[in-house]
Amino acid sequence: MSAAAENDRFELLHAPIDLAAVVRQVRADQDGAIVTFDGFVRNESHGRPTLYLEYEAYEPMALAKMREIGMQIHERFSVHRLAIVHRLGRLEIGDTSVFIAVSAPHRAAAFDACRFAIDTLKRTVPIWKKEFFEDGAVWADGELPPAPPSATKPAS
Amino acid sequence: MPHVLPNLRVKVLFFGRVRELTGITEEAVEMADGATLADLFERYAARFPQLAGFRASLVASRNQEFVSWDTPLSAEDDIAFLPPVSGG
Repeated sequence: MSAAAENDRFELLHAPIDLAAVVRQVRADQDGAIVTFDGFVRNESHGRPTLYLEYEAYEPMALAKMREIGMQIHERFSVHRLAIVHRLGRLEIGDTSVFIAVSAPHRAAAFDACRFAIDTLKRTVPIWKKEFFEDGAVWADGELPPAPPSATKPAS
Repeated sequence: MPHVLPNLRVKVLFFGRVRELTGITEEAVEMADGATLADLFERYAARFPQLAGFRASLVASRNQEFVSWDTPLSAEDDIAFLPPVSGG
């Protein structure tokens, strides 16, 4: 693993995310750009007012999948450091649920890597969101992670 | 019981709507040697009939990796039947 990847941060938090601290963590003198993604709780879903959300995760697998995203990003994009932090538990309107920060010498790679990180997280990281409304609660429609091909016959 | 196939013990975890449907967070179960994840799912589908219709919208994991349903179980595996993910 490269020195850069050792400074990456992948975390699931049951408390508010300190956005400024995450940005500081990826910032270094050799960089010229940081791109961040701040995903936060919207006050409505499909036209219904949202009261609050609850997030849960298969935590060890979610962290493993977040680290995989990090490895893919270092393979694909010329970025320096990467942080992906997701909050779990009950979140109120306006609370940040996911925060991603990517530093790079040049902006294009940072933009591309940040977009890749959030898009891949939404498809592959085992985290679930339940939306609470005045008249009930529903699990958010999600994306089914791609299933691998059929297992090969075990060697015998 | 000398004629029974050897059993293997795995841990099964449930999340999101599947956790709510079964009322189970995690439990240990014994399966016959040679059983696959699909066999394990069938056992739960028999126990929780509502679960049976869900299979097409679930993805299976073994030891924190997505795997196909015909993957054989091994002793001490962590198995989960995961609903569509909705983080972010």
